[in-house]
Amino acid sequence: MTPTDKSAEKFERQMNLLAALSDTVQGIRAVDIQQRVPGYNADHDSFRRTFERDKKDLLSLGVPIEVVTGATADLTAYRVDKAKYELPDPGLDSDELAALHLALETVTVGSSPGDMARAMWRLGGVVDAATENPVGVPVGELTEIPSDSSLVPLFRAVTERRVVSFAYESSAGISQRSVEPWHLDFKRGRWNLTAFDIERDDQRNFRLDRIRSAVELGDVGSQLHPVPSTPTPQADPWEFGDDAPTLTTVRFDSEVADFARESLSSCAATNHSDGSVSFEVPVTNWPAFRSFVLSFLDHAEVLAPAEARSAMVQWLELISEDARG
Amino acid sequence: MADMTAAERLDRTLAIVPWVANQPDGTATIKEISERFAIDADDLRDCLIITSMVGIHPYTPDLLINAIVDADTVTIDLPDYFRRPLRLTAEQTFALLTSAKALLSVPGADSSSALARGLSKVLASLGEASETAVDVGIATAPDAITEQLRAAIENSQAVEINYYSYGRDDTGIRRIDPWAIHSEGGLWYLQGWCHSSLAERIFRIDRIRAADLIDQTFITPDPLPVFTLFDGSNALGQITLLLQPEARWVTEYYPAESIEPHADGTTTITLAIGSLPWLERLLLRLGPEAAVVDASPSLVGVAPVAARRLLHLYRD
Repeated sequence: MTPTDKSAEKFERQMNLLAALSDTVQGIRAVDIQQRVPGYNADHDSFRRTFERDKKDLLSLGVPIEVVTGATADLTAYRVDKAKYELPDPGLDSDELAALHLALETVTVGSSPGDMARAMWRLGGVVDAATENPVGVPVGELTEIPSDSSLVPLFRAVTERRVVSFAYESSAGISQRSVEPWHLDFKRGRWNLTAFDIERDDQRNFRLDRIRSAVELGDVGSQLHPVPSTPTPQADPWEFGDDAPTLTTVRFDSEVADFARESLSSCAATNHSDGSVSFEVPVTNWPAFRSFVLSFLDHAEVLAPAEARSAMVQWLELISEDARG
Repeated sequence: MADMTAAERLDRTLAIVPWVANQPDGTATIKEISERFAIDADDLRDCLIITSMVGIHPYTPDLLINAIVDADTVTIDLPDYFRRPLRLTAEQTFALLTSAKALLSVPGADSSSALARGLSKVLASLGEASETAVDVGIATAPDAITEQLRAAIENSQAVEINYYSYGRDDTGIRRIDPWAIHSEGGLWYLQGWCHSSLAERIFRIDRIRAADLIDQTFITPDPLPVFTLFDGSNALGQITLLLQPEARWVTEYYPAESIEPHADGTTTITLAIGSLPWLERLLLRLGPEAAVVDASPSLVGVAPVAARRLLHLYRD
């Protein structure tokens, strides 16, 4: 037998296996698969090996094989729920399909090009772009969006409403966190997660580059808290903390007022006659906020509360006394 | 059939079969299918002939996939399975949503474009939880300014920009020959010739407060100089810092002349410095997490002097 024949045989056997798994409601037992699906060996051990490999191949494509455990391995039944297998028809027109294809080719998010080609087949194949430019502006300038190993597990958790746990490094050190992921966003070159933190009983923001373990997925539908209906504003670094929020007032001079307005657009602002502006900012991570204020050098001053003001003074005094500086 | 992996062949066939069956009369040409699914016509024929033998026990004709493969066309009639393609995997869905949202966040992107319509159809088919799952903010640049710059690049027309220079901590008007726009790390940049500094410069578009086209054209260099965010300028010399473990991020953030990690978790790093305000910000942010080990004469005492200057704000 030539390798090509073997490969064709495998293809036919796996197609038949998938058909058999899709046609049953109760599940089909391994022993029946061996007898009814053409291409499996009569020898028991050889069948088990081939069957396990086929199952693994189908799972790797994303075929949702369900297992109904029986008294022995041969009595264990398998099935594919069509509702979970079938891609709902998005009803894409060819120009929309072409635009999505171009998007996948223009912006890479860590997935392999081969995997993206497969996604396009499932959506209906690749058609010639009706328009060269799907969004009406030049897009050739785009580069890669950085990927992170936590992204896909967290995305699954958001869409399948799963609880997750992971080790997370915050200013207080590394701790194990159990959260209900709500939303992922990419901002200023970084991926962030907004989630309900179960132990802290409140919403928290997490930076994906501070996750220090694999993300462990809980059961589908295990989230208890509803996702807030208003879109979560994208969090700033000083909101990624475990401190209770402190409302901190900072004044920015006229030189940098516009940039402060952009950075702090969601905070209460007071405009002053000299062109300066002050903001009240809820801060849960003081070191991050201190860094933000210091990046404005002499153009920004912490006004209140007194504790924050004196913390800034102490920090600056420490540096000013450093003779080596 | 030799070139495709078994998994590829299976994946592709599971997409092709329902697509053909859903065409008018369940018929499509070999040519169209092989173009659409990037598959060699002979491979396609082989796959479909095998498919016509696929079915379920006891393999009576009504339980088999009915695939008729002619010289130029294929007709497929399906039993009650393989009627829809397989769902996208989580990786594929994530990449699709993220790339489409990234393109749509480009300043000036048309929200009624084919991409926007395609994305909203895909989101609707995925269900409620996917609609709000991911946000991608590639751009923060104001649309109007980006549009002005694009027009200027297209017409090779110079612009005057009102620009806040973070490095020099200073706002001023500059005349620029704008060459190209780039995106990196979620931000947008303008690359061009700066007539004020008589050199190539990179500008962050979100720090441009105004851009006016002026009546002067230029010739864009061809090829363009390589776009690089760090100019490597060491006009002011070098500084060597001993970083505590918590300040190790500096080594990942800025291009260094040298990096030397130590067994106790601290790191010695040498940086080329082209701008005093840049160094002030870095040292004020790091505070006790960084100690200056060595510095060029013009950089000695930068941090204490800057700290004393800022302290005046709090003592006046």
